[in-house]
Order: sequence, then structure tokens, then C-alpha cells
Amino acid sequence: MKLYLYSIINSSNQIKEEIYGLEGSSVYNIPYCDIGAAVSEINQPIQEVTEGDVLEHEAVVEKLIADFTVLPVRFQTVINGKDNLLSMMQSYYKDFKDNLKRLHNNLEFGIKVIWPAEKIKKNIIKTLKNKEYIDSGDSPAKRFMNGKLEKYKIDKELETQADKLTKAMDIFLSKFAAEKKLEKLKTEDLLFDAVYLVEKSQESNFRVAFEHIKSARPDFKYLFSGPWPAYNFVVLSKQSSLLGGSNQANVFDTATKYQALVGAESI
Amino acid sequence: MNSVITKTKNVTVLEILDRVLDKGVVISGDMVISVADVDLIYLGLKVLLSSVETMKKLRGSSFVGPMQEAK
Repeated sequence: MKLYLYSIINSSNQIKEEIYGLEGSSVYNIPYCDIGAAVSEINQPIQEVTEGDVLEHEAVVEKLIADFTVLPVRFQTVINGKDNLLSMMQSYYKDFKDNLKRLHNNLEFGIKVIWPAEKIKKNIIKTLKNKEYIDSGDSPAKRFMNGKLEKYKIDKELETQADKLTKAMDIFLSKFAAEKKLEKLKTEDLLFDAVYLVEKSQESNFRVAFEHIKSARPDFKYLFSGPWPAYNFVVLSKQSSLLGGSNQANVFDTATKYQALVGAESI
Repeated sequence: MNSVITKTKNVTVLEILDRVLDKGVVISGDMVISVADVDLIYLGLKVLLSSVETMKKLRGSSFVGPMQEAK
């Protein structure tokens, strides 16, 4: 019997709500000590990733967070039988317990902010030209060198502006968050890409803080998502040693690479 | 499957894919038959194409217009 694993949960009790997972099978809890593994039986390991299966997986995890603290497990984790599952639970028990305790009553929120990088660059160029920092030069060599210098100055100024903005946003949001992961300028347009771990009691304050940021810069584009299970905040000592951070391609990056391969328009 | 639609939050598929395929607990060991840790370019072509399409749609929307946002 193969078991598809959705989440580790903070309970050894059975799941009261009827939840159906992949292949339409019932999701149930296999207890180990005081925690459990939410699984469903599956005939074959999944051969390919389809959007439908990914959404099914996520739907199960989302239903579980209504009643439990969950550690969401990565898509397509299939374990060979109950004995193997219990052996895995034994081996990861301390890690699971530590994370369940840390993440109890916390939810994850994602925030992405896109700024008009091209427009901001144009403004920077205009400012630099006004200050006569940019000299068009006369000889080809001088023009080449000036071009390089100009690009350096623009990039540096763009980064300085991005720094100021991300710090300001982060200080505001962090007031209501327990933990965070933040990346600045992941791409030139993606100014702010962050996930915050927020206590349930702070959710409304966090949302208000986000609304304030939005109203302060209505010229930017915002993507707010959540509440999510804490996908980004599970830290397993075994996992981190195996992965060394993240050696898996982020879907966003991979999608970009794929698009480059097929020669499609840049996203 | 239907929770993404029935839930009040309105998020892009890309956000879900990023989490479900790239984040969360990774179990290792002989007891695990499979886990989505192979090159996503090969394994998840259909999904990636969907995510590219999603990005294009986002990119194509007017700059002042709202992106998908949870309520």
C-alpha cells in the first residue's frame, strides 16, 4: 500500500472532516506518539506534475489548517507502506515537534511589490544628466567608458532607491510578524518579494499595515496572498543539511529559464 | 481541487505552484518512493507553461490595475 503524504499535523486523533485527496481517496491520519501524518492511499506514484494534482494537494493542506497546526509536505511525496511511514515519523519526530510548536497559531502571508523600474530609471537618468554626471563624450573610447559609468551610476541609484523602499515596507510589516523571508529586486521589476509568518491574532493588523503601504505608493503593483500554511517557514535539520538551503529551482526562475529556452517574450 | 475556487482568497496559480512544488517538508530516505525533487523543467513542463501564462497575464494587465489580491 502506497501512501501519499500531505502534511504532518499536531494531533494523533482522526480527522473529523471528510477530505478527499489525489485519486479521490479519503485523507486520514496515521498517528505517531502525539502527532500524525495526513495521508491518502495511492495506486501509483505520480508520473508527471499536472496543475490539477498540485491544486488537489494544496486543497487538502488548506482544509487541514482549519483544525490543525500543519507542516505542509512537498508535492509528490509517496511512502511505501505504513511501517515505512512510522519509521520516518520516528526519525523526524523531534524536528516535527519543534516546528509544530514554533508554527502553532501562525500563518504565512506572501507579499510581492512590482515597481515601474523603467520609469524610475528614466527619472534617474534625467536627474544625473541635470547634475551633469553623464557626459556623452566625443571619442568612441570615451563614449564607451562613459556608457559603462552611466550604467553603473544608474544601477547603483536604482538599488539605493530599492533599499530605502524595501526597508520602509519591511519595518512596517515586521511589527506584526513573527518571522520573515525577504528578497529585494529578485528581478528588476520585482522590488519586494517577501513571506511573513504572522500570528493569527495579528492578522488584521498585518493586513492594515499592508493597506497603508499600498495607499502610500499607489503607483506600484501589489500581490498579497494568504493565509497559507507555513510552507516557507518549516526548518528541518535533516532537510537543510540535504538541500543546503534550496538547490531546487524556484518555479519563477525555472519558468523564466524555460521561456528563455523556447525564445518566448520575457516575463 | 475546488478549494482554490471556493475559498475567498483569490491567488494566482503561480503562488500555489511556488509553494507546493518548491517549499515545505522534504522527506528523504529509502522509505520514500518519490518526491518532486527532479528537474522541474522536465517533470513539470505543463505546470511551468501554465505559470508562464499566468505571468504573462499579470504582465499584460494595466499597471494601475490591481493584481490578484486576497480579501
